[in-house]
Amino acid sequence: MLAVKATGCARTELQKDPTVTTQDASHSQANSLTKMQTGLNVSSPEPMTTTRTVNRQTQGSPSDHLTFGHNVSVPGPDLTTQEFKQETKEHVSNATFVEYEILLPGVSGTSTEKNITLDRATRIELSCRLDNKYSHLKSLQVTWKWGNETLRHINKTENSWGIQLRIWDNSQLGSYSCTLKGEEEMHAVFHLQVPKIEGKEKPIVSYEGDTAVMICKSYGYTPTAWTWYMTNGSEQVAINDSLLADKYVINRVSANVTHLKILKLTKEDDGIYWCEAGFELGKSKGKLKLKVLSLMVPLKPFLAIVAEVIVLVTVVFLYEIYSKKKEKCAADEKEFDQIEQLKSEESNGLENSSTRHRKI
Amino acid sequence: MYPLLCRTPQSGFSVKSRLTMSPPVPSDLGYVPPDGGWGWAVVFGASISVGFAYTFPKAFTIYFKELQAVYSISYSQIAWITSIMCATTYGGGPISSILVNRYGSRPVVIFGGLLCGIGMVSAAFCTSILQLYICVGFITGFGLALNLQPSVIIIGKYFLKRRPIANGLAMAGSPVMLCTLAPLNQFLFDNFGWRGSFLILGAILLHCCVAGALFRPIGAPTPPVKPQVTGKGKDALKEEVTEDAMEMGSPTKVPMEDKVEEEGGKACCEKINQYLDFSLFKHRGFLIYLIGNVLMFLGFFAPIVFLAPYAKHIGIDEYSAAFLLSILAIVDMIARPTTGIIANSKWVRPQIQYFFSFSIAFNGTCHLLCPLASGYTGLVIYAIFFGLAFGMVCAMLFETLMDLVGAARFTSAVGLVTIAECCTILLGPPIGGTLIDTFGDYKYMFIKCGAVMVLAGTFLFIMNYYNYRMLAKEEKERKAKEENPKPVRTENEGRNSWNKETTRDGPELEPLSKEQEGLKEEVNGINEV
Repeated sequence: MLAVKATGCARTELQKDPTVTTQDASHSQANSLTKMQTGLNVSSPEPMTTTRTVNRQTQGSPSDHLTFGHNVSVPGPDLTTQEFKQETKEHVSNATFVEYEILLPGVSGTSTEKNITLDRATRIELSCRLDNKYSHLKSLQVTWKWGNETLRHINKTENSWGIQLRIWDNSQLGSYSCTLKGEEEMHAVFHLQVPKIEGKEKPIVSYEGDTAVMICKSYGYTPTAWTWYMTNGSEQVAINDSLLADKYVINRVSANVTHLKILKLTKEDDGIYWCEAGFELGKSKGKLKLKVLSLMVPLKPFLAIVAEVIVLVTVVFLYEIYSKKKEKCAADEKEFDQIEQLKSEESNGLENSSTRHRKI
Repeated sequence: MYPLLCRTPQSGFSVKSRLTMSPPVPSDLGYVPPDGGWGWAVVFGASISVGFAYTFPKAFTIYFKELQAVYSISYSQIAWITSIMCATTYGGGPISSILVNRYGSRPVVIFGGLLCGIGMVSAAFCTSILQLYICVGFITGFGLALNLQPSVIIIGKYFLKRRPIANGLAMAGSPVMLCTLAPLNQFLFDNFGWRGSFLILGAILLHCCVAGALFRPIGAPTPPVKPQVTGKGKDALKEEVTEDAMEMGSPTKVPMEDKVEEEGGKACCEKINQYLDFSLFKHRGFLIYLIGNVLMFLGFFAPIVFLAPYAKHIGIDEYSAAFLLSILAIVDMIARPTTGIIANSKWVRPQIQYFFSFSIAFNGTCHLLCPLASGYTGLVIYAIFFGLAFGMVCAMLFETLMDLVGAARFTSAVGLVTIAECCTILLGPPIGGTLIDTFGDYKYMFIKCGAVMVLAGTFLFIMNYYNYRMLAKEEKERKAKEENPKPVRTENEGRNSWNKETTRDGPELEPLSKEQEGLKEEVNGINEV
């Protein structure tokens, strides 16, 4: 499979320098070997590959080495336009290996972009696969770019074009894109980034003299270090909890969680805070807002509600007194009427009863 | 509306004693409850009180995360706050009953509202979790206890014929309050932080005082000095007047009369009994109710607590899981007054205990069938039926107790029942949680809850059948004795003596239909159900 890739490599690579071609033939073999080793075996024999690349370099090929990991200790001026940082070989050899693929031209509605989160040194293979419906297209030019730079060593299989990368540094992250030019142009982008830290959108509300605790969590990836910053004007100042131990306490509650406790809050503590998680491949920040209020702020609604309750209770009691008075008046009136009636009955006495009888 | 508001109960009695020769009061209250008028204002106040008492612990859980972070404590430590609150609300029942027996509902509820307010305001200034336990847990919990029981008690004093409806409406305050308190709490927390929220919640809880202000005492304890209209009924009226006075505001005077007659040995028991009627433990209906309910509460609240986590467990997202609870609350809100109306109908009211047992068993069946529900649609159906069953049970919870022991003894009964239920209510969710943790599967918790409730429902059904039969038998005996006029007198005077308690409750149940007819006669023959 890889042999196919290698030959494909030789064919589809854009050759700028004609002198390279002949050399490339031999290179391609070397390439294929190195690719075999770096691509599949995690524990590839480093020295072998290094020497090969050294060989290549001395022959002065301007080929872009997509397998960045090799040339750590060898300063090659024309190796690539990118800089390689010193990195221990162990890191690279123990790195994880991941593969990502985007299908082109893509189903309508799905984006031809992929976000890949990396927190540590990784060997990664990115490939753009052409949909089988379009496999009839012949003359396809495939370009892989990183930012503005074109990458050369493309692995081609039947319908997919891929690149292999070794990421061990923050500078290697970014957007890698592949473009398939034929009758139509198809484009796909892979965004390589560090894990994002989410802060809190809603501000944390606290009061003067009180303690506030701000929490930052990393989901899935364990950072190597946590740092807290506060915003002073327009710049971010790191919080040193050992220096101001009675004001700030930074606590790493667990591997993925950090707490910043601010004691004796004042109005000046109001503002934006950042928690920064350091990963192997870079740093990521989360934003938190702190609001410091004075006690007067909730006191106003409190007093308003208490006043409302007092008013309601008074109204209820007043209504009760009023209705009781009304009752009493009505009852008194009724009794008065009844007494009157009785008196009149007594006075009329037999007359009335006889009239009643007569009526009945 | 009856013109009863302008007419004092005493005159009503004189009318009745002239019209019928049967015992003057259909209920053991000593007067005819208005069944309307100011009663609806009382129902409104009761729904506010009941709403706060039941939903405040649930709505309080929003603050847990923040408090956990601030005080650096675990979830189980923070959950103690609501456990203490619930325990105090239910455990404070007997104290509530004693105070209501002594002072009436209104002062107790107003005092309870003040306590809640003070508790939450002091919680806003707490600096340790222990202080929170005391302020939020004990003080506010006790304030809520002083709100819950008197609200339920006073409904029994204002309603008789329409009591199930009134109960249903009052209990409907709980889901309504839940729907308003939960978003309100979130809003307060976002804008004022937890301290400011506690302060404002303290003010909001003061509305219980407003509810308390609405609880007008009914049945004036002091007979007004009035010139007697008819010379005939004068003596009879005086007798009833003094008996009324004892019945309503202060049953303390009742045993005083008895004390004079049977001094000595019983004095101590009498004194305790005037505050909290422990003789209820000899009451057959009360015991049935107590055992059935204590059993039921083992499986009552756990499914609600674990519904959202179960939904998340089977892969439903957080918002849909929360929506399930909203569906439950909305169905509950509609179910409670509806159940009240159904329970008030002439077919159901005489057999209201069967309806209650049926609803408990229905609730249990829902839980047993829940593990069969697959996917979100299944859970939505379960939530609807669960909300329905939950509302039915809650609406009739106190109505059935009132039905069994009568409104006068209900004061003590509710206190004793709540303190007994307190244990199982608190044990229910932790047992469910242990089952889930042990087996790693939620279905065992649902099966346990369902089984317990079906068992409780069946037990209540069978025992109430037995109880109805015994009551019918006793009623027959009582009727047979009534042929003889002398025993009638002693029965009336000894009405409040503890010996005749079992026969006394007869009128409440079986012959309710006759009672209704009796009432109809007395009250202008208006056909009301």
